[in-house]
Amino acid sequence: MAHFLFFLLAIVCVGAVVGMIFSRNQAYNALLLVLAFAALGGIFGLLSAPFIAVVQIIIYAGAIMVLFIFVIMMINLREGIPPEKKKWTIYLSAVLAFILIVELILAARGSFQALTGPGGEEIASPKALGKLLFTEYLYPFEITSILIIAALVGAIILVKKKEEE
Amino acid sequence: MNSLFALLPLVIIVIASLLVLLLEVFLKKENKNYLGFISLFFLIVCAILYFRFWNEEFSYFKGSLVLDKLSLFFFFIFAVAVSFVILLSMKYISLQDANHGEFYALLLFALSGMMIMVSSSSLVIIFLGLEVLSISSYALAGLKRKDKKSSEAAIKYFLLGSFASGFFVYGLALLYGASHSTDISGILDYFRSSPELSLMATIGLGLVIIGFGFKIAVVPFHMWTPDVYEGAPTPITAFFSIGPKAVGFAVLLRIFLYYWRITPESQAIFWLLWIISVLTMLVGNLIALRQTNLKRILAYSSIAHAGYLMVAILARDGSSLLFYLAAYLFMNLGAFAAVIALSKKGKEYLELDDYAGVGFKYPWIGATFTIFLLSLAGFPPTAGFLAKFYVFSAAVREGLVPLVIIGVLASLISVFYYLRIVVYMYMREPSREIAIHLENPALFLVIFLCLYGVLQLGIFPGNILLIIREAINALPF
Repeated sequence: MAHFLFFLLAIVCVGAVVGMIFSRNQAYNALLLVLAFAALGGIFGLLSAPFIAVVQIIIYAGAIMVLFIFVIMMINLREGIPPEKKKWTIYLSAVLAFILIVELILAARGSFQALTGPGGEEIASPKALGKLLFTEYLYPFEITSILIIAALVGAIILVKKKEEE
Repeated sequence: MNSLFALLPLVIIVIASLLVLLLEVFLKKENKNYLGFISLFFLIVCAILYFRFWNEEFSYFKGSLVLDKLSLFFFFIFAVAVSFVILLSMKYISLQDANHGEFYALLLFALSGMMIMVSSSSLVIIFLGLEVLSISSYALAGLKRKDKKSSEAAIKYFLLGSFASGFFVYGLALLYGASHSTDISGILDYFRSSPELSLMATIGLGLVIIGFGFKIAVVPFHMWTPDVYEGAPTPITAFFSIGPKAVGFAVLLRIFLYYWRITPESQAIFWLLWIISVLTMLVGNLIALRQTNLKRILAYSSIAHAGYLMVAILARDGSSLLFYLAAYLFMNLGAFAAVIALSKKGKEYLELDDYAGVGFKYPWIGATFTIFLLSLAGFPPTAGFLAKFYVFSAAVREGLVPLVIIGVLASLISVFYYLRIVVYMYMREPSREIAIHLENPALFLVIFLCLYGVLQLGIFPGNILLIIREAINALPF
């Protein structure tokens, strides 16, 4: 069952990404990306990492996607960006893609040797994470709250309506 | 004393900024100055608390919060800088259409970011503090919302600052990968125990230096500085020129005072810093020669001063670095105060031509501005001279003679553009009429205190040198 689910999710994920690359419509691109993220979240769930699975869906499929959709709406491109004309960028991206593939293969080989099974509930469970967050990492956790309020105040003051005098 | 009490000063600053945000809603536009006074009050409370911490050594949250004498010294520098900036801006923001209550709140958030950074030995916490500082700074740069240049400054600072944060985090990841620790002492232990130089950790350290290089504005990471300094509201520019710079050097000092001792043969990092220092001193001073806008001149001058401070890092001398920062605080804020004084409603006088004849028309501003400029150029008997003297003599003791020769030549170049402003003020006929608001007691208080600081540090530096030596000697190595 687990194998079947894994391959199903993997096919959905890869298929969505491939579709995203070939589609020229930004809205479809964004929706296919949501699909890919959701499938990735499912794979994390299969690896018994429920917390990461949920965060993947909430943050990526939820928050970041909304951001993307907003950007697409605001920029409002009728037709897609014309394909890149410059030759050297194609060659450069081919070289970089090759390097990436080699790196992925090396990393995969390394991790297959190290891997004996999923990491287990005790590391990845929300309970363990919460315990760490509120004991050992309490101070950084609270600092992020200052960070977020500073960012909120800064963003609002810069974009709010200019009052006339 | 428990860990919550040790957090109290930081909590006070955060509460102060939240209180300012809350009160801002209820205050009328004319009464917004009260917010500045409230912020000042909380700053003073916080400084008194830190004063009581001086002779007690603390480390909390597993080294995430270290209240040693070094961090307390830096905290006093920040407190003085921020309270001067608040005093400078009280009149300014209502004259220059930046009168938002959030001004003080963001300034206090930036201060809390700096406090987090200096009082930690964990690079993760330092990164979080850096982000708190940076994000508030981006917003502060754009507070003159009807001014296009201010918006340009905000967006440029934001883009390049986020880029720099990326460098920092990547370097941090590499360091963690190599040493399995995010703590400065843990990382340095790894450097000491590994038999040969680890490539991954060295690249990581290099990337961390680049990340901080953006913040402290050293060449070649200085491109944003003149535009941001020119566009930001002038008191905020004064804050940028001392706050982020001091905090960046505080972290570099924590890393390198120890690093040089354990890896004397580490050449790559040494030469990286050497080249950065030389380029910063030369490029900063040479480009400043061609500027005619006062804020841009002071921007390039602050770049050049970062180069001198880097010499102190290379010379492995913490006390001369701290003294230089203290002197730089007073002379630079004083110079900016004089620039802020020359403004009226909706208009700032920033071109060199505006300064023609100012020395006779406004003798007090002219005379004090001259003293601050002489101090920046490094003339005795001001603080700037002693600061340069300590840094360069420490470098000579370490055998960095070529670096010192370049530094002295660079500061000779700088004399030209500092004195050019003085020449304009006293020896040029005014070509256009300028009229300024003179009823600004807070600003003159700042000028007076800066003048006192510059002369005290320049003529009787004994007391502060004692404090600095105590702070450096109390470091754990």
